[in-house]
Amino acid sequence: MLDKEPMLSVVGLEKTYQAKNKPPIRAVNNISFQVKKGTIVGILGPNGAGKTTTIKMLCGLILPDAGAITINGHDLAVERSSALRSVSAVLDGNRNIYWRLTVRENLAFFAALKQRKTAQISEDIEYYLEFFNLKEKRNEEARKLSRGMQQKLAIAVAMIAESDILLLDEPTLGLDVTSTHEIRELLRTLVDEKHKTVLLSTHDMHLVENVCDEVIIINQGRVVVQDSVSNLKGIFQTKPYRILIEGTLSDSQILELSHIPNLSIEVLDTGSTLLTALLEEKSELYPILNILEQEESPVESIEKITPNFEEIFLAILQKGA
Amino acid sequence: MNRLALFKAYLVKEFAIFRRYLPNTIGGIVTFYVIFLLIFLGYTGIAGGSPNYGDMVEDLIVGFVLWSLILMSYQNIAFTIKDEAQEGTLEQLYMSPYNFGWIITSHVSARLIINFVIIAVILTLIMLTTGNWLNINLLSIIPLTVFTLMGVLGVGFAVGGITLLYKRIDSYLQILQFAMVGLVAAPSESVIWLRFLPASWGSTLIRRVMVQGASIMDFSFGELSLLILIGCFYLAVGYGIYKKAEQKAMKQGILGHY
Ligand SMILES: Nc1ncnc2c1ncn2[C@@H]1O[C@H](COP(=O)(O)OP(=O)(O)O)[C@@H](O)[C@H]1O
Ligand SMILES: [Mg+2]
Repeated sequence: MLDKEPMLSVVGLEKTYQAKNKPPIRAVNNISFQVKKGTIVGILGPNGAGKTTTIKMLCGLILPDAGAITINGHDLAVERSSALRSVSAVLDGNRNIYWRLTVRENLAFFAALKQRKTAQISEDIEYYLEFFNLKEKRNEEARKLSRGMQQKLAIAVAMIAESDILLLDEPTLGLDVTSTHEIRELLRTLVDEKHKTVLLSTHDMHLVENVCDEVIIINQGRVVVQDSVSNLKGIFQTKPYRILIEGTLSDSQILELSHIPNLSIEVLDTGSTLLTALLEEKSELYPILNILEQEESPVESIEKITPNFEEIFLAILQKGA
Repeated sequence: MNRLALFKAYLVKEFAIFRRYLPNTIGGIVTFYVIFLLIFLGYTGIAGGSPNYGDMVEDLIVGFVLWSLILMSYQNIAFTIKDEAQEGTLEQLYMSPYNFGWIITSHVSARLIINFVIIAVILTLIMLTTGNWLNINLLSIIPLTVFTLMGVLGVGFAVGGITLLYKRIDSYLQILQFAMVGLVAAPSESVIWLRFLPASWGSTLIRRVMVQGASIMDFSFGELSLLILIGCFYLAVGYGIYKKAEQKAMKQGILGHY
């Protein structure tokens, strides 16, 4: 079916920055991924992971050293103009708009820049002013808007191109809670109602957790994992266990436990011992319990932890490293 | 057709800014006017008694007005590229389906129309003040000016490209603006090689129209061809330098700010 086709496909993307008198920086190291039509995909990674470099290569603004980018069936390197017709991007939050133009003038100018038909522009401007709740500010200069409104305007400006794909680099960076929330909702609506495809980058797990269908976690220029957000949460839901034991363990017990992977032992101030185990299967709990049973260590509680995205993220990064 | 839509969009955009920031524009006009008055007073002091003083003043006026226009056109392109790169809008321009050359041409032409209006105001003020009335033969002046400015745009492109790569050369740019006085003042009527500098030969021809009352029809085929060739040459070379710099910036990932 059509919606199984990827809107965006990246294969073997590479970028090394080579500034004079500086060691080369391998910003993107063999990254491949696909984005399906009508989904929101988040590129999640810490600062310097290579998110911006990746997004700007998709925009044709940074030339990759190697790799292929296909946008809506067009190879970006070969058919640049056709490929770019399908994408709009908000790269620097509030900086992608003309500050001395009003909200409406910005929308009108960028619509023309993206070759929208003049006859449709006025109607669309009204639509997006309404959609982004900017109607009252239509004649306000962009520089006088709040940071959150500027960001909304920047997204509106990208939307008015009527392109299928929206690329957003850190769309909630530096925004307050209310604006962040509003932008989340708007993105979800754009995808659900207007069937847009969104690829965004962020280091904010909550944004990923709340709006994305899929997540691509990158670190040091490499993809660590690409999976659906629900899957990632699901995998981990069965994994981390906390076992609380009264008193301390014997040396031989500690030695035996040290052979179990992903298990940490911590003696608490209360004198109890806390085992934290990341398990692939629930049944892996038994060997641990066996070791405890040998010396009849009193188990106070066994608890399954529901991780938040942050913990998943950190765990994945540690595994990937 | 499509392309004209972009030009129209630029006209609307530039005019909106022009109107919104009219006080700044008026301030700019006053500054140019005051600079001229200072030059004029100094000049009168030196050359006041000379027999062909009238023509010399007219020469001065044309030179000054041309310099203003050249300066505006140069700034227009070099600073536009630099500012848009810094403000993050250059990247948006690069994502347009339009070719960048056409985008910047539309922008520059739209600005040029507004600059012509500003220059007309300055020129009128100056002529009123000095009482010297020049030969304003628009049919001759406009085409000559356009070809003269092509060379300037070429320089603007080259400099704009360099600002993409070397972000901290602002102060040198300021100096370059004054060097442009030399282009306008260069005596390319008598010193042949000076004609090959950008805008010098054009300035000479414009002077012939505005001061000596010639018309474009009075110029020889060779004279006009030289004007066109020089304009096209500098524009092509300047744009070539810009494109090279742009490719380099895209490799280095510095088309936006970084
Ligand atoms: N234009 C550039 N020149 C040199 N190094 C760069 C440039 N842009 C980014 N880098 C470096 O490349 C790495 C990845 O950067 P970036 O893609 O901006 O990561 P992120 O957006 O995930 O924070 C970082 O180490 C950064 O310092
Ligand atoms: Mg970044």
